[in-house]
Amino acid sequence: MTIDVWGLGLQAINVLILVWLLSRLFWRPVAAAIARRQDTANAVIATAEATQARADAALAEAMQARAGIASERSATLDDARTEAEARARAILTAARGEADAMMKAATTAMERDAEIARKANAARASELSLKIAARLLERMNGPAAQSAFLSQLITAIEQMPAADRAALADGANGLEVVTPGNTDADHEKIEKAIQTALGGTPKLRFVTDPGLIAGIELRSPHFVLHNSWQADLAQIRKAVTDGQ
Amino acid sequence: MNSPLESAILFQLGPVAITEAIVTTWAIMTVLATAAVLLTRQLELRPTRRQAALELVVSMLDTQIAETSGADPAPYRGFIGTLFLFILMANWSSLVPGVEPPTAHLETDAALAALVFLSIVWFGVRRGGVGGYLRTFAAPNPVMIPLNMMQSLTRVFSMFVRLFGNVMSGVFVIGIVASLAGLLVPVPLMALDLLTGLVQAYIFAVLAMVFISSTIQDRRAGSPDADPSPSPTQKDT
Repeated sequence: MTIDVWGLGLQAINVLILVWLLSRLFWRPVAAAIARRQDTANAVIATAEATQARADAALAEAMQARAGIASERSATLDDARTEAEARARAILTAARGEADAMMKAATTAMERDAEIARKANAARASELSLKIAARLLERMNGPAAQSAFLSQLITAIEQMPAADRAALADGANGLEVVTPGNTDADHEKIEKAIQTALGGTPKLRFVTDPGLIAGIELRSPHFVLHNSWQADLAQIRKAVTDGQ
Repeated sequence: MNSPLESAILFQLGPVAITEAIVTTWAIMTVLATAAVLLTRQLELRPTRRQAALELVVSMLDTQIAETSGADPAPYRGFIGTLFLFILMANWSSLVPGVEPPTAHLETDAALAALVFLSIVWFGVRRGGVGGYLRTFAAPNPVMIPLNMMQSLTRVFSMFVRLFGNVMSGVFVIGIVASLAGLLVPVPLMALDLLTGLVQAYIFAVLAMVFISSTIQDRRAGSPDADPSPSPTQKDT
């Protein structure tokens, strides 16, 4: 058994050439393809992780914005509620004040109306009472009443200052003697009594006025001596009216 | 039947006798190179079934190298993978009628063993320099230098003899049986020879990687930045 050294060397060269060929043509390309796919997969994974991170960040931002919106909404609602309550309180206060003013005005108006009504009633009552009194006094009108009024007239004239009595007595236009409708005999009696009281002979002119009810009054252009139930009732009416 | 210890010389190129084993080797080289070109023509990012199968082969080889040496498989992938593919194709070339496998002859197996020996030296020197490689012979102590040197020769010699013995014996047995029992009787033996060829290719490649990695591990264990990973177990059959 011998070994061919040349053959051994040639076979070693052949195998070395084959190692070089397959390294170039097979092992490196396939390993490069594997490495390229691994790099691509790593890049895709890195991109996916980055995208995931961005998505997580966006989600966190959205959640934060959502929380901000919720808090802002809550704050806005609180503000609106507070403002609405303040406005409602203001409106209520204004309405209450307005209602108080209206009630006060109504009360005032009611009091005024009541006062007016009361005054009107009082006026009507006084008028009615005066009418009743006038009716009653009409029934009481008679010679006795006239005689009493004459006495009162004479007394009133006598109580006047002398100068006034003289002026009345010397008056150029004379005096009107107003009666409710006496007879001529009464006229003479009245004329005599007045002349006596005045101390002269004034010119007397008798005027009939049923409105006097009862009584005798002296009238001149510048002087009136009231002495009748009409004058009394007028005075009472004035007093009642002034008292109201 | 020709003696398996003798190679038939087909022609002569000067001092070099071109034997049948050399021609068969060239044919195997041509087939492997052509297949490599054809198979790796269109490698895409999305692999086809063919590309997936190729990548599976490369991945398995890388895994085997990484598990054996604990190092990056890229520097050793071309040499170890080519050894495996060539020995496998050479062993299985006996299926072609009239072809004797190159690994059934001394020169081819001796050339492969010599290449493994040189590769151990090459990778050892590249890893730790000449001094670093030579210091691996003094591990664990200088007394072991003669034994380590003898071991570095005997272990590749054992590889050479193992491969040659297994393949040659298979061819020899099949030849004897075929000459005695006719056509169909050797078929089971040929099937067994296929399995033997696969196993021998695997063993040769793994042992080559183990020897290379043992040199690397020795250098790594002696350096300050030693890798704590365990030394691969030497396989020997």
